Amino acid sequence: MSNFTIPVGPLHVALEEPMYFRLDVQGETIAHVDIHAGHVHRGIEYLVTKRNVFQNVVLTERVCSLCSNSHPQAYAMAIERIAGIVVPPRAQYLRAVADEVKRVASHLFNVAILAHLVGFDALFMHVMEVRERMQDVKESVFGNRMDIGANAIGGVRYDIDAQGIGYLNQQLDAIDAEVVEIIDLYRTNGSILGRTRGIGVLPHADAVDCGVVGPVARAAGIDYDLRVKAPYTAYDRLDVTVHTLPDGDVWSRAMIRLYEARTAIGLIRQCLRDLPDGPTIDSRERPSIPAGEAIARCEAPRGELIYYVRMGDSPKPERVKWRVPSFMNWDALRIMLKEAKIADIAIIVNSIDPCISCTER
Amino acid sequence: MQPYAYPLAVLLFPGGLFALVLGLALKGVDRRLAARLQRRVGPPLAQPFFDLVKLAFKRTMVPDIASQPVFLGAPLVGAATMMLAAAMVPIAGVYTPDPALGNLLVLLYLLAIPAVVLMIAGSASGSPFGAIGFSREMALMLAYEGPLVLVVAAIAVRVGHGQGGWASFSLTEIVAYQARHGAFLFDPVMWPALLAFLAFYPANLGIIPFDIPEAETEVLEGPLLEYSGPALGLFKVMSALKSVVVLSLGIALFFPTAPSGVAGLAVQLCKLLLLMLVGVTLVRVSCGRMRIDQAFRFFLKWPLALSLASLVAVVVI
Repeated sequence: MSNFTIPVGPLHVALEEPMYFRLDVQGETIAHVDIHAGHVHRGIEYLVTKRNVFQNVVLTERVCSLCSNSHPQAYAMAIERIAGIVVPPRAQYLRAVADEVKRVASHLFNVAILAHLVGFDALFMHVMEVRERMQDVKESVFGNRMDIGANAIGGVRYDIDAQGIGYLNQQLDAIDAEVVEIIDLYRTNGSILGRTRGIGVLPHADAVDCGVVGPVARAAGIDYDLRVKAPYTAYDRLDVTVHTLPDGDVWSRAMIRLYEARTAIGLIRQCLRDLPDGPTIDSRERPSIPAGEAIARCEAPRGELIYYVRMGDSPKPERVKWRVPSFMNWDALRIMLKEAKIADIAIIVNSIDPCISCTER
Repeated sequence: MQPYAYPLAVLLFPGGLFALVLGLALKGVDRRLAARLQRRVGPPLAQPFFDLVKLAFKRTMVPDIASQPVFLGAPLVGAATMMLAAAMVPIAGVYTPDPALGNLLVLLYLLAIPAVVLMIAGSASGSPFGAIGFSREMALMLAYEGPLVLVVAAIAVRVGHGQGGWASFSLTEIVAYQARHGAFLFDPVMWPALLAFLAFYPANLGIIPFDIPEAETEVLEGPLLEYSGPALGLFKVMSALKSVVVLSLGIALFFPTAPSGVAGLAVQLCKLLLLMLVGVTLVRVSCGRMRIDQAFRFFLKWPLALSLASLVAVVVI
């Protein structure tokens, strides 16, 4: 068998976003991986310092479409910490609802792409159809399909009435039933199992070394979920189940996402049941933000998202820095891709659910 | 036989134009059906025709590092071979190929040529994906050719025994034998061979679960990656003709009984549609792609065992 250097990316049908892997392969087996990044750098961290605190809620939402709720949420939490703003209880629950709605859609999206990469397009279409229901929910409740604009400094920008709760519950029942079926499919289907079991293994010890987060960590047996470890918004009052699997392969990561989608549906139900009355946003419309610095963390669909904000005397932040989950999971790809087959590259890369536009902003 | 019978059979009916139109129409139906099974709307039935016309008017780009004569010659050879092959498969009651054409062994060799052509095209293009496609195509071919030969042998021996000889590789005789003794479809001894033959379909036609050499999400269409314009169109012609050839071959081998004349042609079309639905469309929407090592192991396990079982049974009985 001869040696080749093959490029995967920056534009590749199997990658949703531009990233570039230079692979040295021997026959069908990968001998060496070079990972290059930087194709979608837009200078958002710089832009953030050119806009005022309130404009940045909109800007951070546009960092990435799949985690588009987590970014403004972490940003708002950091600003609230600097200004000492207390988010009203109803807004805390509504933030959790928005977070979990995005999580269900994001996880289903990733699991659907897995089916597509395996060549199982009928399953891909089915899972996307279920996700489409969640998109409908987003459009009905928030008015948008991807950037739902739920967060504001000091609270949320939307409210749900009794009719909305009824609609949400009804949609959640339908989605839940479908997700149960999908879980069963991914657990038993020969095509899926044959292509994902024992592929792209990230052993527990390596997972700890790389500091991976989110479903990638939980699939390697690391019981780490910010919603439990460092609860924010309403998560301290909600019953969050953290799923872990021991194997650390592609299949485990897909299953963790599916289980979490179900848990997320349960969390939305809990929120809607316990939703307290009251205002949805802090009474001061444009509170002045004093100088200071703060860190806020939240559990994005891909894992722990950290925001650091430093405010000076101007209404524009002096510095905003975020560390996204894909940044931590990215390096673990070297371990997962070691000795992998060419056929599995796309499946393995997809299994960390890489979010390039977050990572390169 | 009239002097113009060969060119007519190869260029017009049942090979050439007829097979091409039939193949493209089948492809259109297949795409539409698959779309409906996946709850999509799907393309118009005539989409494969549109694609072909569009490609015909485009430019063929030849990569700098490609070997031009081989790169452009490969699709020509492939399409021409399949045109010839289409004239070799009998249609019961409608078309009986000349004895010089209707030989199963020759047809087997011709059927291997599209895969060989793809391999040559892949390596001539100079693209690493083409090279990977080359090695995958070769592995897959080695895997499925064995069972195919055994299936054909089982049928040849069966027919040969029936005629008091040892084995008959004449497609005309195979069809005639089944017309007298009933189709092999209803013969339990041949069922394992039939199953093995059904596994050969997706592998030979390059569809899921065995579209490994061209896997879009893995090697970006492999050997076809660098092709464009009329050259790519010729590959489409080749695969359309090939689908007609292998589907009609399946019908000729296992279920050729049909009335003669126009009714026979209609019956043949119905069988083609049905076989394509069962053997191609349903298969490709109901499973995912295998890895090349999995596919290799699969063929050396099930189809090989099944075809061997039929052959042994035929020889012993």
